[in-house]
Amino acid sequence: MRTTTAFMAIIAGAALALAGCGSSPSKPSSTSSTTPPTSSTAVKTSDCGTKPGVKATGTPIALGGIVTDQSGTSFTDIANMAADYFTCVNDNGGINGHPIKYYIETEQTNPTQIAADAKQLVDTDHVLGIVGNTSIIECSVDSSYWQKLGYYIIDSGIAPECYSTPNSAAVNMGPRYSSDGAVQYALAQHVSKIVFDQSNVPGTGYIAAGPNALAKAAHVAIQQLTENVPISNADSVAIKEVDDAGPNGAVILNFTPPEALVILQAAQKLNIEDHVKLWGCSTPCNTDFLAASLGPKWNDKLFVNAELTPPDFTNTPTMNLYKDIYQQYGTSGPNKVTGGIGSFSQMGFTEAEIAVHALESIKGAYTVASVNAAFKGVTNFNTGMLCQLWTYGSYPMHIPNNEDYTVTPDNGKMATKQGCTQISPVDPQIAAYRKDAGTAALAPPLSTP
Amino acid sequence: MPSWQDFQPFLVTGLALGGVYALSGVGLVVLYQATGVVYLAFGAVGAMGALITWSMISDGIANWLCWLACLAFSGVVTLAYGITFGPLLAKRDPLVKATATLGLLLVLFGVMDLLWTTSGGESRAITLPTDNGGFSIAQIQVTWTQVIGLAVGVVIAAGTAAFLRYTKLGTAMRAMANDREITATLGVPVRRVEAAAWLGCGLLAGVAGLLLADMVALDATTLTFLVISSLAAALIARLRSIALTFAAAIVIGVVQNMLVPINAVSNYNDMTPFVLAAIALLVLSRRQVLSRAREDT
Repeated sequence: MRTTTAFMAIIAGAALALAGCGSSPSKPSSTSSTTPPTSSTAVKTSDCGTKPGVKATGTPIALGGIVTDQSGTSFTDIANMAADYFTCVNDNGGINGHPIKYYIETEQTNPTQIAADAKQLVDTDHVLGIVGNTSIIECSVDSSYWQKLGYYIIDSGIAPECYSTPNSAAVNMGPRYSSDGAVQYALAQHVSKIVFDQSNVPGTGYIAAGPNALAKAAHVAIQQLTENVPISNADSVAIKEVDDAGPNGAVILNFTPPEALVILQAAQKLNIEDHVKLWGCSTPCNTDFLAASLGPKWNDKLFVNAELTPPDFTNTPTMNLYKDIYQQYGTSGPNKVTGGIGSFSQMGFTEAEIAVHALESIKGAYTVASVNAAFKGVTNFNTGMLCQLWTYGSYPMHIPNNEDYTVTPDNGKMATKQGCTQISPVDPQIAAYRKDAGTAALAPPLSTP
Repeated sequence: MPSWQDFQPFLVTGLALGGVYALSGVGLVVLYQATGVVYLAFGAVGAMGALITWSMISDGIANWLCWLACLAFSGVVTLAYGITFGPLLAKRDPLVKATATLGLLLVLFGVMDLLWTTSGGESRAITLPTDNGGFSIAQIQVTWTQVIGLAVGVVIAAGTAAFLRYTKLGTAMRAMANDREITATLGVPVRRVEAAAWLGCGLLAGVAGLLLADMVALDATTLTFLVISSLAAALIARLRSIALTFAAAIVIGVVQNMLVPINAVSNYNDMTPFVLAAIALLVLSRRQVLSRAREDT
């Protein structure tokens, strides 16, 4: 028995050592996923705060966020990047000396759990504002709760209520309008058929309605597909998509990066990636991890709708700050951003940036009323990450980001293929928003250093 | 309804996946026959081996060494579990033994999530050298990896059946499946035979892990729970027949993939292993009831 126990201990130790030595959780599958700051070789994050190098020690300002984290769908990178931005601000003066304390709740698409998370943030954590929410159904579950309490959410939207209620304004376009952008680009390339495939999660009908409207207006056939995630038969999925699209068709994907990657790699292994005219993807595919994993065969073959300014070849103070914060705070630790440089972490950065801008405008005490009034009062803010100036405003619905880019893999990075292009008002939701809010001005480029 | 020509590529992918299910199912059956344990951690062990391989390849280590590491890890962990907990649980009923392997599954699952977090946007992939080569059969592209998936299933099933019939160790395993106590009293070193079964099963878990990581996805959750498809095949064979396990696995793989092009049922194809296992068990139970009823009359 003793011999067996000793043997077991040795084997367990060797197995863990092998796993530990072999595991490189921060490393991507092939080339490096991080884009080093191009402005300088040193990491310079002091620009995120008003007092460089001075740690904030005052009464914390509590903020909260709720994100989906489940098998096949995880948005923790968004909240983690927001947390890293707040940590940077706290290390460099805080908000008038007050550090931001950020509470992140994760959920698994369970309405009861999501409602409980919201109550936890309000009743237990006493958060003054909600920033960084990214959830498949949170907006649907909590929108009336936030309206009742007077919280104005700054989020990355997915569910319809993130865009169609007065208390939520997103920095992204969400799956529907981002898919619109991807389909719009494909239609502009004169494809004869669109195959639109997405995760089989709540809200697929709402998401598909946008691409449907665009294809119908262009008199192009469209086929809607859904897949259970995580995908366990990528080869078959890829074959079905290609067969349905045909040689002059386009396959448009709406999945998180790991799921989109397995489909695209399956197509490549089966040598069928060229059997369609082009492949498209909504914003989640806009990540260096995907570009590096796919390789050069997908240069100018895959076109990704980028809701935020492409980071890889952009050298502006804001973009460099984003990359610097990721380098310093996001590559390890409790708020590690595993997806690296890409859309998700950009969303988290932008939401935090807007929140900090709003908080810095508050003159008196930090209360639920003052913080949310400040969030709602953000007007024509140049985030440095979006095509347009960003406004919250008092509208019955919010789609403040409705103009964006198309990018394509370029030897391991994502490069701009098409500059800022408005999402078509053929989508009735876009038309309704622009009727209320007008069309926001293009954000002037921030000066390069 | 798609035409037969439309179904053909899915037949190819189904056969390849079925082959890998078959090799996994054979491993489960042999281990059950020798030890009475339904090894639910089979998928998790292969998954962690595949992730270790991925990490080592990312560090620039030669591919063949990384693949060997997967096999070594899977074999060693399975063997260690077997020789430690096998004797302790030998006299317990099969449900307890199976539940104990769930404990190993959960531990490995937790370690994988700690070391290779599934949160966030990181994408991982394993590619084998055989991915980029292949041939066409009537306009259907077949990769060498798919051929290997099916071929390995065939070879393992046939080889294992021959091993159990014609070798001394195989005979000992069959004897233990019949009656462990009597086999022990006849002087067969049961612990060593069990250890061999555990090691063999572990090595098969490593092979399955690598192939599935390439053919399906390098994702801890996906790979861990793909064991269910292999388990369904083993259950259809009543955890007894290697040939029936192989056939059931191929049918599961083919049916699961052939449902994909049929839009009306495409999203339900993941239910295939459960549905086929349930039907088979119902039919087999009914036959048993009927034959018992005939014996009684």
